[in-house]
Amino acid sequence: MAHVTTMERENRRFGWLLTAPGLVLLAAVVLFPIVWAGITSFFNYSLIFPGYDDFAGLGNYAKAADDGEFLHSAWITLLFVVAVVGIQFVAGFVVALMLNDARRGKTVYYLILLCPLLINPVVVGLMWRMILHPTLGIVNWLLGTVGIEPVNWLGAPDMAFWTVVLVDIWHQVSFMVVLLLAGLSALPAEPYEAARVDGATPFQRFWHITLPMMKPVIVVTLLIRMIFAIKTYDIIYIMTRGGPGVATDLISYFIYRRAFVSLDLGEACAMAAMLLIVIAGLTAVLWRSMRQVQD
Amino acid sequence: MASIQLNSVSRIYGQGASAVHAVKGIDLQIEDGEFMIFLGPSGCGKSTTLRMIAGLEPVSQGDLLIDGQRVNDVDPAERDLAIVFQNYALYPHMSVRQNMAFGLKLRGTPGPEIESRIAGVAETLGIRPLLDRKPSQLSGGQRQRVALGRALVREPRAFLLDEPLSNLDAKLRSVMRTELIKLHRKLGTTMIHVTHDQVEAMTMGTRICIMRGGEIVQVGKPQDVYRDPADTFVAGFLATPPMNLIPARIEAAGEGLAVIAPGLSVPVPEAYRAAYAPYTGREVILGIRPEDLFETPEGAAPAAIDCSIETVEALGPETILNVKLGQGGSELAARLPAEGDWEVARQIRLFADSLRMHLFDPETTRKIAR
Repeated sequence: MAHVTTMERENRRFGWLLTAPGLVLLAAVVLFPIVWAGITSFFNYSLIFPGYDDFAGLGNYAKAADDGEFLHSAWITLLFVVAVVGIQFVAGFVVALMLNDARRGKTVYYLILLCPLLINPVVVGLMWRMILHPTLGIVNWLLGTVGIEPVNWLGAPDMAFWTVVLVDIWHQVSFMVVLLLAGLSALPAEPYEAARVDGATPFQRFWHITLPMMKPVIVVTLLIRMIFAIKTYDIIYIMTRGGPGVATDLISYFIYRRAFVSLDLGEACAMAAMLLIVIAGLTAVLWRSMRQVQD
Repeated sequence: MASIQLNSVSRIYGQGASAVHAVKGIDLQIEDGEFMIFLGPSGCGKSTTLRMIAGLEPVSQGDLLIDGQRVNDVDPAERDLAIVFQNYALYPHMSVRQNMAFGLKLRGTPGPEIESRIAGVAETLGIRPLLDRKPSQLSGGQRQRVALGRALVREPRAFLLDEPLSNLDAKLRSVMRTELIKLHRKLGTTMIHVTHDQVEAMTMGTRICIMRGGEIVQVGKPQDVYRDPADTFVAGFLATPPMNLIPARIEAAGEGLAVIAPGLSVPVPEAYRAAYAPYTGREVILGIRPEDLFETPEGAAPAAIDCSIETVEALGPETILNVKLGQGGSELAARLPAEGDWEVARQIRLFADSLRMHLFDPETTRKIAR
């Protein structure tokens, strides 16, 4: 065991002293709700009859795994995550590549692109609900000026899902751009020059140099976006409340409904715990990927 | 193999009043099979010139010809040149083998030929055991060899080397210097080597092109440039320690002339009198190489110099003395045999061979022809 000097011991003590208020606050607002939810998930805890009298063991987990609505929400969430992350990645990468090559006005483009990301998701939801309003919205008015029939953006099941996907892309694509552009800017210029002399075309340079060298950044970016996409709640709450029907009933919103509409807190906590395991797994992969990027 | 010709080639960054002339209309002919060294301090335009030849920088003005063909607008890929970068620029995600094969694959070279070329070059450079490693698993010296190998497998018309030895330690640099010289002798391919290290310049090149401020100051064989520097910049840049440059005056001394400086009087040899006579009574810069100062009178026209020892640098095979000339005189460096017994502050007498002195015009800094 390494020898610890008095000075090191004092430094550590001082470090703990400085971080203690933050740690206490984190324990109160993060750790306590997680532990509480974890405990509650093993009880038949209802908000109508709150209490820990009826121990359910893994019953709530079994019920959730068997719940068609929950599985439907999980499936819708999976589709949502694949759609938004996939499209955001492709669009974000294209924009990042263009910005990386831009010689003039880079900062202006960058600031414009950042604007959506700076807006609160609730405001984004409200804004787009107004923009896409079937009768009062500007989009349908614009479509009408070129003779296209009004579209029920948030009222038709298939359309509502893709509308929510597009709004999320509009809101979050700049996050991809920011991260991917940072990665592209950090790439060394010399391998590209070597490849030019070696005879590589622009596409070959992208395929053989940019993509492989960007791989760690791409993995981290995709994982971060996936984690955030799985947790999407605000836009759904504001724009569709999971509807029409259950067309946009993403898992976070579904769990909220199970807890505070159906008042079945025990099962909602079990579902939240399952979601937490998935996100924790992705976070572990993210952590490992970020370590690789650092190395 | 290729000959490379630069006709009034310039590289200008920016426009109008803010334009920066990195290379200012240089003319240079590099012969087929030559080992040309671009030498100069940082920012002198040597790397920019190399990059223009490679096609990585556009030529702003003038003509760049390879084998007599104008290539100003030819893509780097089609110039058939290979470049070794200062920091090697290996593809980090590829193995050594893939790094070496990349350029050949892009050019459609058949697989078996790629393998045979890689095997041959790997054998020559001693990197066969490294072929399946990634660049991150290699030392600086190994990466340098791989970068060189990647250039060699291409069998290009010319090699462009952009300070490839500058990141190596002194011992490895010396080894690689020798290997590059041998390689050039073996291949006979045109090589252009950019460096700010005058030892590399003196030992490796068939010719040196010395640059300063985007212009060529002097081109010639290493020994010629060393013996006959065009100006004070070249005189002060080549060799360590560089030539001693002392502000002086030419005065009439009896029937002849003498170069006079505080604490110093060097008679002008008869052979140089006619050339230096027009400068009588004028300021000049006297140049004496450290190795042209001796403990005992040597040469046909030795001149005694009384001085005091300031510092002693015992380098092993030789000793560098930094001495001060009389009252208010200049400081000189003298390269002397290691055997001497020197002490700081001691008064000594050194001798300069006046036949080996150089005089420069202080206004133009150019050497006064003799």
